Amino acid sequence: MSRADKLVIALAVLLLPFLYLQFWGNHSRGEVVQIRVAGGEDMILPLDRDKTIKVAGALGTSVIEIRNRQVRFIDSPCHGKQCVLTGWLHEDGQLAACLPNGVTVQIVGRDNQFDAVNF
Amino acid sequence: MKLSIQTTRDDQRIAWLTALAITIHIAEGALPSPIPGVKPGLANIVTIVCLMHYGWRTAVWVAILRVLVGSILIGTFLSPTFALSLSGAVASVTVLGLASRLPLGLGPVGYSLLAAMAHMTAQFFTAYTLFIPHQGLFHLLPILMTVAVVFGLGSGIIANQIVKSTSINL
Repeated sequence: MSRADKLVIALAVLLLPFLYLQFWGNHSRGEVVQIRVAGGEDMILPLDRDKTIKVAGALGTSVIEIRNRQVRFIDSPCHGKQCVLTGWLHEDGQLAACLPNGVTVQIVGRDNQFDAVNF
Repeated sequence: MKLSIQTTRDDQRIAWLTALAITIHIAEGALPSPIPGVKPGLANIVTIVCLMHYGWRTAVWVAILRVLVGSILIGTFLSPTFALSLSGAVASVTVLGLASRLPLGLGPVGYSLLAAMAHMTAQFFTAYTLFIPHQGLFHLLPILMTVAVVFGLGSGIIANQIVKSTSINL
């Protein structure tokens, strides 16, 4: 093995901890909240501005709160309250949904057109 | 009318080496893998040996033909698997081309490691842009890169032994 080979190995091995720190250490924080209502317009709101939003869904009004770069359902006119029980969302890609009311809330980092493509 | 194609010594060598690479590629495809899509990439040993003995041009032919013919034989031609395979092969031969033109004095181990990492990076971003455009995919990147470094080193050490124990008869 030449010295150049050893240098490449050293650089490659040094790169690995950096990758682990970068992608596992600090969880990527989302930038915006995407609120979708079945049959309605999508709403995009910034995560860094605290706000309480009322969204009209199929059953009634869902109340969504943005605070401290987090977002949650406060109330929704459904029976199970799964959306409220989901609690705070703060990481990129996290999602809460109230299916009876047809409202979903997701934290998005970039423009995602779809989750995945399978063949 | 009888049609005959004139083949050069070079063509025949590329054909032989590609056949060897395809055999390894398909044999490896039959091995079970703990993580889907993670393969040792032993066929790349052939690419590295080609680069060391016959130069970059031969290595490119062997790497790209292996991906094409291998995918036709396995039945993944033009599928997502093929897109991933091809992007990886193109990236690794590009990096090998750059590295072999620079006066670095790299050996098989360095080349193999660089190629493996370029291969994985290209595949990752192909997968991210075309098939799974989700931020969550980035959580896999450190693991995939670790695997690439380990297998790249392994393949490089094997290629190093092969290069040392074979002589070139041009």
